[in-house]
Amino acid sequence: MATREIISTGNELAAIAAVDAGCMFFGGYPLTPSSEVMHVISDLLPKVGGVAIQMEDEIGGICAVIGAGMVGQRALTATSGPGMSLKAEQLGLAQMAEVPLVVVNVMRGGPSTGLPTRVSQGDILQAKNPSHGDYKSITFCAGSLAECYTEVVRAFNVADRFMQPVIVLLDETIGHMHGKADIPTVEDVKAGIVPRKSFDGPAEEYFPYECEHDQPAVLNPMYKGYRYHFTGLHHDKNGFPTEEIETCRKLIQRLEDKVALHEDEVESYEEFEMEDAEVMIVAYGSVSLAAKESIRHLRAEGIKAGLFRPITIWPSPAAKIKEHTDKIKKVLVVELNIGQFHSEVQRAAARLDIEGLFKVNGRPISPYEIVNKVKEL
Amino acid sequence: MSKTLMRFTGVGGQGVLLAGEIFAAAKIKTGGHGLKTATYTSQVRGGPTVVDIQLDDQEIYYPYANDGEIGFMLSVAEMSYKLFKDGVQEGGTIVVDPNLVHPTDEDRKKWNIHEIPIITIAKEEVGNVITQSVVALAIANTMMNAIDKDALIATMLSKVPAKVHDVNKVAYELGEKYAKEAMA
Repeated sequence: MATREIISTGNELAAIAAVDAGCMFFGGYPLTPSSEVMHVISDLLPKVGGVAIQMEDEIGGICAVIGAGMVGQRALTATSGPGMSLKAEQLGLAQMAEVPLVVVNVMRGGPSTGLPTRVSQGDILQAKNPSHGDYKSITFCAGSLAECYTEVVRAFNVADRFMQPVIVLLDETIGHMHGKADIPTVEDVKAGIVPRKSFDGPAEEYFPYECEHDQPAVLNPMYKGYRYHFTGLHHDKNGFPTEEIETCRKLIQRLEDKVALHEDEVESYEEFEMEDAEVMIVAYGSVSLAAKESIRHLRAEGIKAGLFRPITIWPSPAAKIKEHTDKIKKVLVVELNIGQFHSEVQRAAARLDIEGLFKVNGRPISPYEIVNKVKEL
Repeated sequence: MSKTLMRFTGVGGQGVLLAGEIFAAAKIKTGGHGLKTATYTSQVRGGPTVVDIQLDDQEIYYPYANDGEIGFMLSVAEMSYKLFKDGVQEGGTIVVDPNLVHPTDEDRKKWNIHEIPIITIAKEEVGNVITQSVVALAIANTMMNAIDKDALIATMLSKVPAKVHDVNKVAYELGEKYAKEAMA
């Protein structure tokens, strides 16, 4: 595939990616360290006939994006942890009503307003269940500048395939670092766009929420002559509220199964120096960069370390993790929180002896800290 | 040259971020790898700001400069100087604006410290205080011999508005002149 070189920041690349992927609407509220996503896309969207709007707050931002999704547009919002907390209720609505959209969350220190300008990975578990109730989150995590672009593009395609929100996690380091990214050409990105499904039969035969047990709703854009109802309540095939026992069960089971039975379509990970690894480091986002550097040092000293990096965080690549942890005794999860993905690796591996290296003071984990920890194992 | 690690420190709003971007972009355009990473506080204007610049012939993974490995630091604010000086390797070069930063005698033994009045040069000799980041860029590049001068200037000019090209060229030449004098 042809590539092009862009010298930029992760946040800017995320905004460019959205526009290249056909996003025509941005609604949001600027929040450090994600603000540049909004700055850049506010410049780009009007040039392609799109709209970017700063709403009155984070909640207004996601609500506007849901509206854009209802009329069939690809739509984006960007924020950080405190904004995710505010958007949680509406993300639940988008899951329930099956409205596709993409959220870029550039993670900073938390909880609450936390450390606005400093790096963190404290939103991993929040991304799994931002809202109450049962549904299956799809969350990607960029581990390089190039992935700030490619994962946002992928998120738009996956959101339309599964008809639900897709979260792309960046962190402050990745979002703000400035360097080279080799990314696909616009032509290749455009060629890869798969529009969401629609129904073109007679309006009286259209039932948007009547679908196979493992498939998403088929929502025609509003104002095209197909009438149906959006709601956060349990609903029937037309989208109208119902408490009918079997309809309610099937609906929520389908929200789970439409993703759970097709995890292979979203699974993504990187294996770095894993072929002969005797120590497996699990890291994602900017921490994986420190891990790669640490592996350079460790290998120079004869320690065979490798990195397993989940790119799709939710659903996690659990089977692949287990395949490695069944063979490799020493496993170290390194992350900028107190073990949010560590517990997932424990679950996937069915092992309680998974080691952890964690930091929560807003500072990055250096390659030398990882080297020293690996030597202690 | 294999790897150059530089650190620019100041307070938010002084333009140290742009100098880092120019360095990284110029290195990439000349066929190498460059990465700029900034750290700032929530007190955006007036808070301590640090920019780490890595220039390397091989791929750079970790985006921050490891403490103790930095070969060059430039500082135009006392609080940032104190916070970040310990990242510089022993014997490394530190350039400070003597009107704003006051290194201790102990510092002078540990590092090769040069005093260049960067802000005054920009304000009075160039005639535009905003050009201080380009004066700083020239000083760093002259002392570290990091990147081809013409390539760096071309990148710098591509990142500033056309109407200030001439004044920034003057700023670069002045920075280079002061750096050469300091090293002599």
